[in-house]
Amino acid sequence: MGEAFTLLGFGPEGWGHALLTAGLTTLAVSACAFACGLVLGTLCAWAKIAGPPVLRRAADIYGVVLRGIPDLLVIYLFYFGGRQIVTAIANQFGHTGPVEISGFVAGSLAIGLISGAAQAEVLRGAFHAIPPGTLEAARVTGMRRWTMFRRIIAPQALRTALPGLGNQWQSVIKESALVSVTGLVETLRAVSVAANSTELPFLFFLAGGAIYLAITTVSGLVFRIAEWRAMRGQPAMRVGG
Amino acid sequence: MNPTTVRTPTTVRLANIHKSFGRQEVLRGIDLEARDGDVISIIGSSGSGKSTLLRCIPFLEIPDQGEVTVGDETIVLTGAGHRFSRAERQKIRRLRGQIGFVFQSFNLWPHMTALQNVMEVPLHVQGRPRAECREEAEAMLAKVGLADKRDAWPAHLSGGQQQRVAIARALASRPRALLFDEPTSALDPELVGEVLRVIRALAEEGRTMLIVTHEMAFAREVSSHAIYLHEGRIEEAGPPQQVFLDPVSERCRRFVRGQAGPVD
Ligand SMILES: Nc1ncnc2c1ncn2[C@@H]1O[C@H](COP(=O)(O)OP(=O)(O)OP(=O)(O)O)[C@@H](O)[C@H]1O
Ligand SMILES: [Mg+2]
Repeated sequence: MGEAFTLLGFGPEGWGHALLTAGLTTLAVSACAFACGLVLGTLCAWAKIAGPPVLRRAADIYGVVLRGIPDLLVIYLFYFGGRQIVTAIANQFGHTGPVEISGFVAGSLAIGLISGAAQAEVLRGAFHAIPPGTLEAARVTGMRRWTMFRRIIAPQALRTALPGLGNQWQSVIKESALVSVTGLVETLRAVSVAANSTELPFLFFLAGGAIYLAITTVSGLVFRIAEWRAMRGQPAMRVGG
Repeated sequence: MNPTTVRTPTTVRLANIHKSFGRQEVLRGIDLEARDGDVISIIGSSGSGKSTLLRCIPFLEIPDQGEVTVGDETIVLTGAGHRFSRAERQKIRRLRGQIGFVFQSFNLWPHMTALQNVMEVPLHVQGRPRAECREEAEAMLAKVGLADKRDAWPAHLSGGQQQRVAIARALASRPRALLFDEPTSALDPELVGEVLRVIRALAEEGRTMLIVTHEMAFAREVSSHAIYLHEGRIEEAGPPQQVFLDPVSERCRRFVRGQAGPVD
């Protein structure tokens, strides 16, 4: 027991610092991926709701394709495939030898792309839940489209979308473990390394689980609070009303 | 209107408005003029095109043909599927800015309090100073008798209260004309009175209003003109005494008799 504390602690023998850094990396890569997904999801939701037919079709295909292929393959495609393409381009311009690309960037983009497809569906559903009369009431005042999006559509849609987006955030955190294949030292990679070099896999994988659980629990709480705040004054609060 | 007095300026004018949905022609050449201070009630049976007519004024429905004027803005339509130029779209926005529209189903913005609903357009569309918007919004809420509900969420207000907030919201953008589409039809009977009282007070202030309504007694009392619509045409128009009590059109006569119901 004492040994475990030393190993997980922040002393010279301990892996504490490495694990903390890895946990923060998981958080950072997840946040970037989620943000990419949100941007992509918003664009796709817009394309599906109001875009020209070509974009609507493209958004549909994007959704189907990403649902149909394994997430890990998308990461391989971005990281190894990306490296190959960047190298080829660099060689065109006279650079010799392979070019490394960042696992962090490739991983965030890949998971963002995966999450974007799901977030698009969440946002589209939330848009359709907006009472159309509230949009008409805005339109009739001469409100500009962008103002309407900012003031009337986004606040109403986000409120409905929060639970779904919260779920997406949780899956992004878990999927971020896949980015370890690029060599990025995030939580899974860090605990694997520690498990190997100490030959104590049970302890370190358990610690890894605890780190993920801590991140998902705390961020779940943040989402819960956001939902609660957003629901102030909404009909759902009037139980039986 | 007395022809010997100086004619007040036109606030809303429709000229030869046509509108079809698919193959169904819902408006078949509507001419209508509301001058400053007129209160025009629009009556007619269900499906006669009353809502469509009212919604054509701020281009919630786009007329196929005809001319819409609000204040100094005139838009001419030349046929179904008309594509608006950038300048025309701007014109439509300016035209919309000059009317206040009150819907049957209130359509308050549910994520804003009553006061925020009323302040929204002055602040974020018209870009007036916040302090001024707030002051005026509070005054408008007081006018509709809801000063104490300024911080209430729409979902926590009764239908009558929501509709009064919606009226305050329409007033807050300082419109030249107010358009009401059956403002009391979605209300429980006991809540109709409070909304009609507010509208009556606005009529007494000399506001220009177009009101689509089934409240015959109320319409007769507040309006300066009445219009009876039948199958997309104005079948009877004139002072309320004529339209409600002694119309020329036999169909209109039957309609107002049928609608009269118990005297209140
Ligand atoms: N967006 C639309 N698409 C297709 N048809 C429509 C649309 N809006 C209205 N109509 C049709 O146009 C006709 C006139 O409708 P409108 O709503 O103007 O009638 P109304 O006089 O307001 O009736 P009510 O008293 O029931 O409100 C109806 O037959 C209706 O079905
Ligand atoms: Mg109607």
